[in-house]
Amino acid sequence: MLTGIFSYAVFFSCVVLILSILTLGLNLQWGFTGLFNAGIAGFYAIGAYTHAILTAAPQPQFLGNFGLPWIVGIAAATAATALAAWLIGLLTIRLRGDYLAITSFGIAVTIQLVTLNWEALTGGSQGLSRIPKPLAGTFDSPLAFNLWYLALLAAVVGLLYWGLERIVRSPWGRVLRAIREDETAALALGKSARRFRLEAFVLGAALMGLAGALYVSFIGFVSPFDFLPILTFQVWAMLIVGGSGNNRGALLGALVVWGIWAAAGALVAKLVPPSHAAQGAAVQVILIGLALVLVLLYRPRGLIGERAVVSRHADG
Amino acid sequence: MLRATVTLLLSALAATAAAQAPCPVRVGGVLPLTGSMAPITKKIAQAAELAFEHVNQGGGVKGCPVQFILRDDQGQPTVGVDAAKYLVEIERVQAFTGTISSGVTGPIISAITAPSKVVQVTCCSTASPFTLDGRSQGYFFRTIPTSKTQAYATASETMRRGFKKTAVIYVNTDFGTDMLRFYRAAMARLGGDIAVEVPYNDNQPSYRAEVTRALAAKPESLLLVGFPKDAVTIVREWLSLGGTSNVALNNSMRTLDFVNGVGARFVENFFGMDNAQVAGPHVDAFNKSFEEKFKTDSKGPGVHTQYDAVMVIALAMNIAKELNGTAIRDAVRQVHAANGTPVGTGPGEFKKALELIRAGKPVKYHGATGPIEFDRNGDVTGPALVWKISNGQLVTDRTISIEEMQGLARRIEN
Amino acid sequence: MIAQALADGLFTGAIIALGAIGVSYTLQILRFANFAHSELLTWGAYLALVFVAFAGPGTPTGPLSFGWQLVAAAFLAALLTGVLAWAVDALVFSRLRRQGAHHLTMVFAAFGAALVLRNLVVLFWGHESRYYTRELQMAFEVLPGVRILPDQVFILLLTLAVVVVLYVFLAYSRTGMAMRAAAENPALAQACGIRVEAVVRATWILSGALAALAGVFTGLTPQLHPEIGFNLLLALFAAAILGGIGSLPGAVVGGLLVGLAENLSLLVINPGYKTAMPFLLLLAVLLARPQGIFGEKR
Repeated sequence: MLTGIFSYAVFFSCVVLILSILTLGLNLQWGFTGLFNAGIAGFYAIGAYTHAILTAAPQPQFLGNFGLPWIVGIAAATAATALAAWLIGLLTIRLRGDYLAITSFGIAVTIQLVTLNWEALTGGSQGLSRIPKPLAGTFDSPLAFNLWYLALLAAVVGLLYWGLERIVRSPWGRVLRAIREDETAALALGKSARRFRLEAFVLGAALMGLAGALYVSFIGFVSPFDFLPILTFQVWAMLIVGGSGNNRGALLGALVVWGIWAAAGALVAKLVPPSHAAQGAAVQVILIGLALVLVLLYRPRGLIGERAVVSRHADG
Repeated sequence: MLRATVTLLLSALAATAAAQAPCPVRVGGVLPLTGSMAPITKKIAQAAELAFEHVNQGGGVKGCPVQFILRDDQGQPTVGVDAAKYLVEIERVQAFTGTISSGVTGPIISAITAPSKVVQVTCCSTASPFTLDGRSQGYFFRTIPTSKTQAYATASETMRRGFKKTAVIYVNTDFGTDMLRFYRAAMARLGGDIAVEVPYNDNQPSYRAEVTRALAAKPESLLLVGFPKDAVTIVREWLSLGGTSNVALNNSMRTLDFVNGVGARFVENFFGMDNAQVAGPHVDAFNKSFEEKFKTDSKGPGVHTQYDAVMVIALAMNIAKELNGTAIRDAVRQVHAANGTPVGTGPGEFKKALELIRAGKPVKYHGATGPIEFDRNGDVTGPALVWKISNGQLVTDRTISIEEMQGLARRIEN
Repeated sequence: MIAQALADGLFTGAIIALGAIGVSYTLQILRFANFAHSELLTWGAYLALVFVAFAGPGTPTGPLSFGWQLVAAAFLAALLTGVLAWAVDALVFSRLRRQGAHHLTMVFAAFGAALVLRNLVVLFWGHESRYYTRELQMAFEVLPGVRILPDQVFILLLTLAVVVVLYVFLAYSRTGMAMRAAAENPALAQACGIRVEAVVRATWILSGALAALAGVFTGLTPQLHPEIGFNLLLALFAAAILGGIGSLPGAVVGGLLVGLAENLSLLVINPGYKTAMPFLLLLAVLLARPQGIFGEKR
């Protein structure tokens, strides 16, 4: 029993860490730069598929599948996502908040449709399988592999957290916050707001692409159904609940929101018999919706809100 | 003093051993219970519940009752994978069933059931690669034939009925594209002609644009591959725009939801394919018990295959010497031993099967989908069935036997 | 082919336009993207279903597939949905506004509310599809190669009538003028003594009512299920934004353009990409004119 709980906890933690990388990326875009990116699933997809296409074993019906080493896949995924974000950012950064949201959302939808329809490259709706897991041969049990992967993810997240905290306190980071708080004043100081915003957007997206690559090399399989809009909503919920503008909040939010999601499912399954499972599942979603609304009503700055900033534009 | 301590220790050990006794045996399942598949999965869940009821009434697994734990994947692979991991690690399920979308089945095989060596018998996942590329290491079985069977049979039947210039409208998922691929290959070999292929994304309010595009090719017949909810919209828009009534459907449309949704008088003589639920006493027994318990008909995609998946799991678990994944996996094919005594559906038949197993005698399961036989990949082949809509009812038109299907496959693939 | 696509686009666009008007005004006056708006569509459709269950859809009048009872049910549902929208505001959004919540918080609260509303429909009515009427209309050929349904014509005409009435209301009634003032410049409007609460209430009721009508029309062609609103959500937002928010003509034109884009695009591209079309259109418009077609430059 205890090994079971431990095993599940390891797996669960791996998923949480991957999701927290997404949230850290979003925090850079939204929390520090004020960019309302609703296209998270799209960047995640680019990273995931780039890694999959480069590392999966060759098969005759696919254009890609080059069987390259894991680290090449990871690096390429991050770079490809950064490039895509740069192009997308050039087009959309200057749009005002809500509009950026809906166009970035539309771009994510388009990317997902490409993964669905361009069968020769992405495997279409059947996805790509047998994506190699790093060092899989060294471990004989799933628990051992998952533990190793957990350590890997923890190291990556730790590194990213440290890096992001440094960046935020750096001169570059200070300019970003100045732009977010008061663009006119920042402009008066002669900084090109758009260039900084673009850089933050690209960097945040690169993190999302990295998360995608880490996800597929953990699971070993990818399909277009991993990148539906619900994912974007989940990551946003994580940031809001944890506290935006705060890297620790991002990590905490990922844990809490995914935890609620998983726990609600387990709870409903325990209480409701299989033939009524559909209604039980509806109740589960209602509980998730209610939980979200309640957190927003009573802890609007999230569980660890951002430290108060002296500015008339401080978000509250 | 020493003796007392030892006795105390021994009884404590015995108590712990008893506390870790295997009862109840748990089986897990993951299905898209919410979302667009919900109307279909409701019945599938009911079929599973009925099956476990029969298993328990008939004696359970190795003297223990069986508990079924069903989780919702909400149509999202990450949720499904988490649920599967929870079921395997915390609920300690000894076997797994359910799963429809390959988006969910794929990661579950890849990250959970194959690595943890848990047998998975799915009712409803038809994408062919899962059994063919070796990734499942033999732990994955399905009681539903892959789309290949249905597609080949559809091609053969549409040719037989003289369909020309067929427009194909298909759902843009793994299921639809798989069906189309095999159908196209079959039509090429059998000399049919496809006028146009139009994919559609599910969950849209209107499909007039797709229907218009299909009609522009001036087709004389239509093959519609998809699921009932959107299919109803498509067929209604097709008919009202003047589309022909020469319509062929796939198995998921074999439900009164579809017939009544479009309107019985508008779908007269529509026909479709299904993996055969060969008529017979065992099939009838299942239909009857389903209808009695749930007060609704047993027709619908996945209902019969889910029942059989559960029965196969329960039988295999009883045949296996120990309750671990590898033993169960190896026992699955003994569920249909060549010289086995036929056992059918229902609690009485299951009890009979258990007696035979206890006596060391082979069994051959005849399920709600007829005689089950897993090939070396974990797939089933089966006869196919042509159904049609007549006076608002779903009736069987004719069946295509296993031999005919195998002959057809040979013709197409050689 | 093109003519048929144009006709289809027009009819789909009319429904999107109705839904987009509410989105447009909520975006402009209340300054947040109300992602629960789509559930008002769904609830409107199901509330009308309740009335229809009592009175029946009515024997088909003329070439239509329903009688006056359905129309009456639609307007009753519109009323109730307006109240529902106001209630959701009172329970959730107005509280957040009083706390001075960031607009993003409101967006998320709207998401949460949408999840609850949508799944309440599932709990009450189940997942199965429902129908107002079992009649199947045959389209008639109005021009060579162009077939339309009488129901569609009715919907288009009714939408037109509603839009005209709305335009008159906004232009000449006190509440209407107050709404337009609040839409254009909230601070100034308040300074001129316009009661913001009254405007907010009117906005919600109007949004809800229009959404309900759009929902009924969607449910008519041809079925209702719990996700009909959600499936239209992004099209509604795309339409509202590209038309320019806070503008009635903007929402209408936006809706029509989105409908046309979806249908015309299928003539040239793989239908698998159809759902992306509203966004690509939106992106194109915003690149050329960031405030939308009829929007005010800020």
